[in-house]
Amino acid sequence: MRALARTCGAVVVAGVLAGQPVAAQDPTVGNAQGQLSVTIYNGGQALVQDIRQIAFPTGRSRQEFPDVSAQIRPQTVSFAADGTAIVEQNFDYDLLSPNALMQKAVGETVTLLRTNVATGAETRERAKVLAVNGGVVLQIGPRIEILRDDGMPVRVIFDKIPINLRAKPTLSITVDSKSAGTRAATLSYLTAGLGWAADYVSLYDEKAGTIDVQGWVTLTNTTGTTFDQARTLLVAGTPSGQPANSRYRPQPQGNLRRAGIETAPREQLGDYYLYPLAERTTIANAQTKQVSFLDVSGVPAQKIYEYAVSGFDTMTEPRSAASVIKFNTSAKGGGLGDALPAGTVRFYQRDLRGDPQFIGENSIGHTPMGSELGLATGEAFDVKVQSTVVKRERMSPRIWRTSMSYLLTNARAQPVTIDLVQRGLDWYWDDTRIITESQKSERLDSDGTKWRVAMPANGEVTITATFETRY
Amino acid sequence: MRGWLTLFLMLAASPAAAQSVVTSTAPDAVAVSVFRDPERSEGGEIERDWLNGFALISETRTIDLAAGESVIRFEGVAEGMIAVSAIVTGLPGGVVQKNRDAALLSPASLLDGSLGNRVHIRRTDRATGRVSEDEAIIRSGPQGAVVLQTAAGFESLRCTGLPESIIYNGVPAGLTAKPTLSVTTRSLAAQRVTVTLTYLSTGFDWASNYVARVAADGRTLDLFAWLTIANSNGESFADAQLAAIAGTLNTVSDFDSLADVPQAPPLRLTCFPLGTGRYGIPSPPPPPAPAAYLDNEGDNIVVTAQRRSAPMMESAMAVSVVAELENLGDLKLYRVPIPVTVAANGQKQVALLVKDGVPFKTIYRLRSSPGDTFESMEVERVLRMENKEAARLGVPLPSGQVAVFAPRGDESLLVGEGQVRDHAVGEKVDLVIGESSQVRVDIIEGVAPKMADGDYRVTVTNANPFAVEFELGFYVDSDPKLDKRLRKLPRRDGLLTWAIRVPANDSRSFDYRFVEPD
Repeated sequence: MRALARTCGAVVVAGVLAGQPVAAQDPTVGNAQGQLSVTIYNGGQALVQDIRQIAFPTGRSRQEFPDVSAQIRPQTVSFAADGTAIVEQNFDYDLLSPNALMQKAVGETVTLLRTNVATGAETRERAKVLAVNGGVVLQIGPRIEILRDDGMPVRVIFDKIPINLRAKPTLSITVDSKSAGTRAATLSYLTAGLGWAADYVSLYDEKAGTIDVQGWVTLTNTTGTTFDQARTLLVAGTPSGQPANSRYRPQPQGNLRRAGIETAPREQLGDYYLYPLAERTTIANAQTKQVSFLDVSGVPAQKIYEYAVSGFDTMTEPRSAASVIKFNTSAKGGGLGDALPAGTVRFYQRDLRGDPQFIGENSIGHTPMGSELGLATGEAFDVKVQSTVVKRERMSPRIWRTSMSYLLTNARAQPVTIDLVQRGLDWYWDDTRIITESQKSERLDSDGTKWRVAMPANGEVTITATFETRY
Repeated sequence: MRGWLTLFLMLAASPAAAQSVVTSTAPDAVAVSVFRDPERSEGGEIERDWLNGFALISETRTIDLAAGESVIRFEGVAEGMIAVSAIVTGLPGGVVQKNRDAALLSPASLLDGSLGNRVHIRRTDRATGRVSEDEAIIRSGPQGAVVLQTAAGFESLRCTGLPESIIYNGVPAGLTAKPTLSVTTRSLAAQRVTVTLTYLSTGFDWASNYVARVAADGRTLDLFAWLTIANSNGESFADAQLAAIAGTLNTVSDFDSLADVPQAPPLRLTCFPLGTGRYGIPSPPPPPAPAAYLDNEGDNIVVTAQRRSAPMMESAMAVSVVAELENLGDLKLYRVPIPVTVAANGQKQVALLVKDGVPFKTIYRLRSSPGDTFESMEVERVLRMENKEAARLGVPLPSGQVAVFAPRGDESLLVGEGQVRDHAVGEKVDLVIGESSQVRVDIIEGVAPKMADGDYRVTVTNANPFAVEFELGFYVDSDPKLDKRLRKLPRRDGLLTWAIRVPANDSRSFDYRFVEPD
């Protein structure tokens, strides 16, 4: 296809093409990309390195670089070739269109080809474009006319395309070369529109208490450009400063329960793990590409139920507890044994026929090896919590006592464990302590306390506690 | 030309090793598990115009692999496929990579991809009808308009007033009609393999619709539920193993944007100004928009079980197929026991559960805070059941809509409608099915001479010719300063509740004292 176009184009309009300022590479034919290396970061940003073979003449020449990313950040371009020095870099986006062509033809002469609507006979004349202001004013011999004012068909034929009108935004670099010859030139730039994240497929075996995890890197190319046969490296990180979140109130338990302190056996660049793809790959425009990077089976995983009561509330209906799958990423036995780049974890579980069914998904941030993750997959149909404020007593003008009762129900045929958390114990200047409780709780922080409750199959448990709050 | 094109594509894609492309057009067998809209409120209905649920689709496909590296293209998948969730199993050489290509063939991408290539420009003479074709090279990108290089010079398309059009010689590489999933695999030998393609897809939803028919004695009801499944995808799934999953799943991805077909930008042709200021020529009509997400007009209602519209009115519901329930972790899976066809842009109903002779009570219920006053307040009508086997129920009840019918002679009339949340086995089921204008509540404060400020009297009146059970729940925490009459009330659903039986055509009262704490 490309070869055909090249030959035919050359035959048909060779004469016209000769007048074009064709640089070392013809911008309109084929793909001018050289040896590509693409380094992709998480935040939708990538570093592209493109090594092209360029025939430099001696002295000053302007080199155009077609087929760079359509979302190139031109201010980040750097260029290097042996024996050359950069004079200037340009990024031109004066695009070729009929209107631009006409605007640039002011003062020039064009050919008008008129077709007689009755006979189909063609007449040809030369006209000078005087002005293009809300209409094209032409001078034809001694006459002044407005183009197509009578609505009759007229073909306007331009002799040439001005040099700076381009089919696409074009990067050009003017260099001084010491000697003539074809040499490798390295072009590198940052581009938006090329990013990646991880997608994990996690098959949970409830009986065995294990998960099988497959990790896929998912590349997304929305640059408008295809990167041909690129050596691809993924960086697990976003190298840009983000304002830190200031949080006063403690947040509900996140997915990363304990950050790990182990180093994964993967290549690192500073703080970032690197995931090189094994082979060169073509990243097509509008493509989402997935390549496997992790496959671990039989990682121990526990299911636990969690419910956080946000304040001293009476619930008129019971509410479902979250079902949470917990596992760790340690390599020291009993864990997944890798660092996990940020992404989405989708959980599956086999039904009675043995077919995997989707049971929910959650997201993780960049997770160091040795971390403990607790990922909520959804709300349990059969494990519910109902809290009741049984009594509120004013002990003194500044001291209140609140008696809470929590009814926990389990309609499953297996015993389960639930972490019940009472939140809201530290509302600004409060000082809340537990006076009595039916089971010892673990104070998580000033705002919350947690009971880990073992629940029998098809059974219920009531937890009671009295809190004293000083205002 | 086409042959040349394919050959060239293959060479371009893999210069070193020969790569064969296998297209799998349709599955041999398919299983569809439908999930409810995770954002839908309890007891909500399916939004047929925009289905917000999703499905897990599992397809079995037979593929003939060549030796070496092959690219398998999957066609005939749901258009709402979430490609990043796709799992392909059964390939002997595993999956080297998965790609979803979404560079779509459109007027604009055709022009863009043909930049610098030879095309033909066809002009038709209006007077003579003579058609001429000239060779040309496209010199401009798809933004703005078309500039062509012809033997005569440089011209623009459709600024001339002549009927003219570009004839392309072929489709540029990499453009597809629809987003396409493909996987790359390697095989040591040519062989026939069976693979399973599993993926999530948008454009599905399901809901349960309960029909409760009250028996003539008014003490029991027959509970029946429809499992209603809708599919807004353009693909039908024939003879599918169908399941619906109840419970609430956590989701974090934006499924709609992951499944989205990218909008092909329309090709807008503009010209230099023509005549005395008319800017360009009118744009050609934009290309047809991508197929509407859901063609609501074409909905067809498929009924698998017998009699759909009429049976609500009848006294007995005869169904031959009822969905089978199994536990899936913390979710409930309802499996349709026979293969069924899930039609494109269609809705299907099968029986979800059938429970006859369930004893129930009708409760008239009001909830208020102490200190509220009411004048002839209507109260809620609540059907109360125990979700226990001993009470002839004892099955998980997924959330949905409820319609209650009561007999009048030979016919059944609608007497109430409401919603039910997810109920586990063992829970009390309170169905609020409407309000009563026959049972009303007055709460008055401080009427002289006997009552002072802060004294309240609750009076419940029953205009029915039968006795009713009434409950008034107070939103109040028990504290020692609270009136003893309130403090002594039993707790129901967490609230201090005055429960009383009001005889036919009679009233009952309850007095308490309440002073707002400072």
